[in-house]
Amino acid sequence: MGNPIQFDFTVVATVISFLLLVWLLSKKAWGPLMKMMEERRSHIESMLAQAENERQQAEKIKHEYQEEMHKARQEAQEVIAKATKVSEVRAKEILAASHEESEKIKKSALVDIERERDRAITEVRAQVAELSVMVAEKIIRQKLDMKGQGELIEQFIQEVGEMQ
Amino acid sequence: MIKEVHEETVIWHLGFMTFHGKTLIMTWIVMAAILIFCYLGVRHLTSGKPGKMQNVLEWIIDFVKNLVSDNMSYEQGRPLLPYLVTLIIFVFFSNLLGLIPNFTFNLLEHFDVEFAQLNMIFEGPLLMSPTADINTTAALALLTIILVVFLGIKTKGVHYFQHFLEPFKVMAILHIIDLISKPLTLAFRLFGNIFAGEVLLKVILMLPGIWVLPGILPMSVWLGFSIFIGAIQAYVFTVLTTAYVSQAVTASEH
Repeated sequence: MGNPIQFDFTVVATVISFLLLVWLLSKKAWGPLMKMMEERRSHIESMLAQAENERQQAEKIKHEYQEEMHKARQEAQEVIAKATKVSEVRAKEILAASHEESEKIKKSALVDIERERDRAITEVRAQVAELSVMVAEKIIRQKLDMKGQGELIEQFIQEVGEMQ
Repeated sequence: MIKEVHEETVIWHLGFMTFHGKTLIMTWIVMAAILIFCYLGVRHLTSGKPGKMQNVLEWIIDFVKNLVSDNMSYEQGRPLLPYLVTLIIFVFFSNLLGLIPNFTFNLLEHFDVEFAQLNMIFEGPLLMSPTADINTTAALALLTIILVVFLGIKTKGVHYFQHFLEPFKVMAILHIIDLISKPLTLAFRLFGNIFAGEVLLKVILMLPGIWVLPGILPMSVWLGFSIFIGAIQAYVFTVLTTAYVSQAVTASEH
């Protein structure tokens, strides 16, 4: 009874049992499991594809935005430059105009001054002539007799004449 | 000594046929365990985030899938996958069953349950690996070789038998020996490993002393090593089956 190697119909029973197990498991366990794994694989695959697609789209949008921003910045720069130029020209214009104006005012003022001076001189001259006539009258009236004063009168008259 | 270690084989009679009752009972226990194991895995089947048990099963399938695609084109091996996954799980569970203590505590014997000699089947301190019986391993090896020849003929037709005559007709003898030796080595390798492991377990339990106390340390070491051997043998059996099949279905280089 010591021999452990004895073949009998246990082989057949085991074959049947094992095949039953294989059939049962492949129907109830491995089949559904492998289907699930396949499903998961395709799901992940599609997700990856979708993610890649979205990434590309995002890249495109980002590119567009960057371009647009660049353009906008350039435009702003241009506007600023233009404005600066315009304002400079305008400032120069204003300056020139004001300069001209002031020059004009100065000229007219000078002309006015000249004219006033001329008038004042003529006035003064007329007054001096009058005064001198009055003084001469007085002196002649009072000291006409006083000889020796004639020289003084002469000198005075000469001076008044020089003033004219 | 051997007589003490090896108990009387329980024989079931059915007409003229005889069966090893203990082996069959243990086989069915293993099958039940596998069914429970797989039921836990596919209970909440989802293609989304898998649960722990589903993850384990998927890992096993992936493992076997890699074995197959290493040996042959995956398309050819795909129909074989359910068989191979079942095979590796069955052999592994069978190898481990012999390491599990007999939790019936000999109650069946105590109450004299004579039905199907269950009292004699559930005696002793440990259960038995179905693979510690040459009948189980021979059955699996037989299935493997039937699968090899069947798939060979299915993919190559009559041309499958041509390789027996190559390179010379005389070589047919060698080829036939090769074909026969494949299931023989498969069966005896697995049987020898597991049977020897069980014998050593029984010997350790017979160490002198109060019951099993002196055996605790060698017992733990040998149990651990037996788990390792069980896994390795299950792997080897599956890999060899895959390799034999791939030999048969892939076109020969001649």
